[in-house]
Amino acid sequence: MRFPSLSLAVCGLSLALAGCGQPPEPKFALNAKTAALTPPAQQLITEALVENFGTPNNLVAWQELPIDYGKGNPAADAEHRQHDGWRLKDGRDLYMVHCLHCHGVAGDGNGSTARFLNPRPRDYRQGKFKFKSTAGGTRPTHDDLMRILEEGIPGTYMPSFVLLGKEQLGLIVDYVRWLSMRGEVEEALAIELAQVGLKSSDLERTWREKKAEDKAITLDAVRDELLAEVKSAWTETVAEKAKDVVDFWNEANNPENLVVPQEKRTASDAESIARGRALYLSKENKCSDCHGPAGRGDGPQTEQFAAIDGASPARNYDEPGLRDAWGNVIMPRNLTRGVYRFGRRPLDLYRRVHQGINGTPMPGFGKTLKDEQIWDIVNYVLSIPYQEGTAPAAEDVAGGEALPETASR
Amino acid sequence: MNRLWCVFFSVAAILAVVFFYIGPAMGWWFPGVAASPLGQQIDDLFYLILAITGVTFIGVHLVLGYILWRFGAVPGKKSMYQHGSHTLEVVWSIVPAGILLFIALYQMDVWAAYRMKSRFDQDALANPLAEVTARQFEWRIRYPAPGKVLQETPQPDDLYTVNDLHAPAGKPVVIKLRSEDVLHSFFLPHLRVKQDAVPGLVIPVWFHANEPREYDLVCAELCGWGHYKMRGQLTAQSQGDFDAYLKKLQQSQNEDGYREAAAE
Repeated sequence: MRFPSLSLAVCGLSLALAGCGQPPEPKFALNAKTAALTPPAQQLITEALVENFGTPNNLVAWQELPIDYGKGNPAADAEHRQHDGWRLKDGRDLYMVHCLHCHGVAGDGNGSTARFLNPRPRDYRQGKFKFKSTAGGTRPTHDDLMRILEEGIPGTYMPSFVLLGKEQLGLIVDYVRWLSMRGEVEEALAIELAQVGLKSSDLERTWREKKAEDKAITLDAVRDELLAEVKSAWTETVAEKAKDVVDFWNEANNPENLVVPQEKRTASDAESIARGRALYLSKENKCSDCHGPAGRGDGPQTEQFAAIDGASPARNYDEPGLRDAWGNVIMPRNLTRGVYRFGRRPLDLYRRVHQGINGTPMPGFGKTLKDEQIWDIVNYVLSIPYQEGTAPAAEDVAGGEALPETASR
Repeated sequence: MNRLWCVFFSVAAILAVVFFYIGPAMGWWFPGVAASPLGQQIDDLFYLILAITGVTFIGVHLVLGYILWRFGAVPGKKSMYQHGSHTLEVVWSIVPAGILLFIALYQMDVWAAYRMKSRFDQDALANPLAEVTARQFEWRIRYPAPGKVLQETPQPDDLYTVNDLHAPAGKPVVIKLRSEDVLHSFFLPHLRVKQDAVPGLVIPVWFHANEPREYDLVCAELCGWGHYKMRGQLTAQSQGDFDAYLKKLQQSQNEDGYREAAAE
């Protein structure tokens, strides 16, 4: 070869350039309920979503939603802040950098890293959030979401982003709320169309029934008839579903929904802890059913087979264990470790006991227990990691069986 | 043409050393001036080694260049065979060995100051600032309650925070480094401090931040898919500010959310 270095250079360059070019355009994936519909119905939903929310690279700021999209300031230094909607765009950019690889483009918890993680990253699209200061199924407040970003969630792969600073975190929070609202609108529309009978499987069945009477009828005809009904009122349907979502999110800011103790916390002395322990083991509260008599998260409920949500005919999962609202196996918290996922302040534990954890089998005891009792339980729970041999005696346990004496950690 | 290449390679080597020397002054090399006394000593050691090896490197390349120039192949001329010189072999074994021995002994003090527990500031060692547990992919920090001494096992009144390590500036402090899962490494680039966090061990690490400001804390041992973003921050503060910070942390950690009902 006359010029070996030249050929080598050409080979090297072509290999290097082969990777260049535009990456594929990011898309919001359809959720499972939408994907189960017949394609023209999916089309309807996709169009409604693109019109009101846009695509990841072309966001639409729907004014109906309670989100501060950012007003353009012509005097701003940064060029992009001079246009309206800059907050949503900045939020999206930050989300793409920091959150996308776990939480996915649409906030569906299906990013490329997600399959390596246990517990899985949150799927925001149902508007269900576990850790918040509001009651029951109410949405979280802006502060709740900020807190998660600042503290991370100990015991999971959700890290703390406190170093990004409050302003950037605020942008991410608003983008996440926007993703959640988008997901909820999609879910509501998909449920609506499924109820009309536009699921692919349902449509097949309807067509077969109709064929018994009229041999010439086609699947398309059956489908188009149902679609025509839907299309005539489609804009109103979309607006109605959106309004529901907006109302849900606005309720989060209602101070009545904030869970705040009405009594000061009782001092964490031996009596309080003993009372808390009795409440924990009692038959009425059944804490030990899930969390176990010694608080290790190994109660008898963890060996039951949970029913599959929405399955008809009703049937159970193949694997034993409690399930969360997303269908994943969820372990009751091991209280001996001292790891508390949404904060270790007495206030945080009070909230967990009072309102439960949305989206999980953890119930709220706010209606059945008084505040003093909840504080006793909180004091007991906070003391569990520091006690040696916390296995209770036989007569204390609701089932009556004594447990082997073990060290606390 | 060959002679041109001789000059080129000799000059390139010399230029390289010049850039290595002026690099830190231009901010191309070290992350800023060392912000701790021991860090400054480490940088001084680095420059000493750079000087010694730089001189050797330039010298060798000049000689190499000269030999290539003077004794390059000439068509028609036969090369001369030489048996080698025993004296030369001895000289250029003893002299570099001597230089290396010098460097090894010269740096012992800095190494001891950094690694030997008996050389740590004993006050700081008896009252560690915090236990820092590296975890995929964050730094979890446990301070003792103000006025108490850090215990090996968590205490009910310990204070917890994540990623943002506060410390008093201007004096040596000790942290106990642990890992919850895999190997990580506690790296403060500005202070020239680096210590692997080994699962199963509790390793005392000391550092002394000169000024009250924020320093980077990064993970320096590949620990998984999030290693690249396992960043934290060391916030060095005056003693008064640090005490106030701990007090505030204690208050917020004991927050029970109860507010006296305002007059309605």
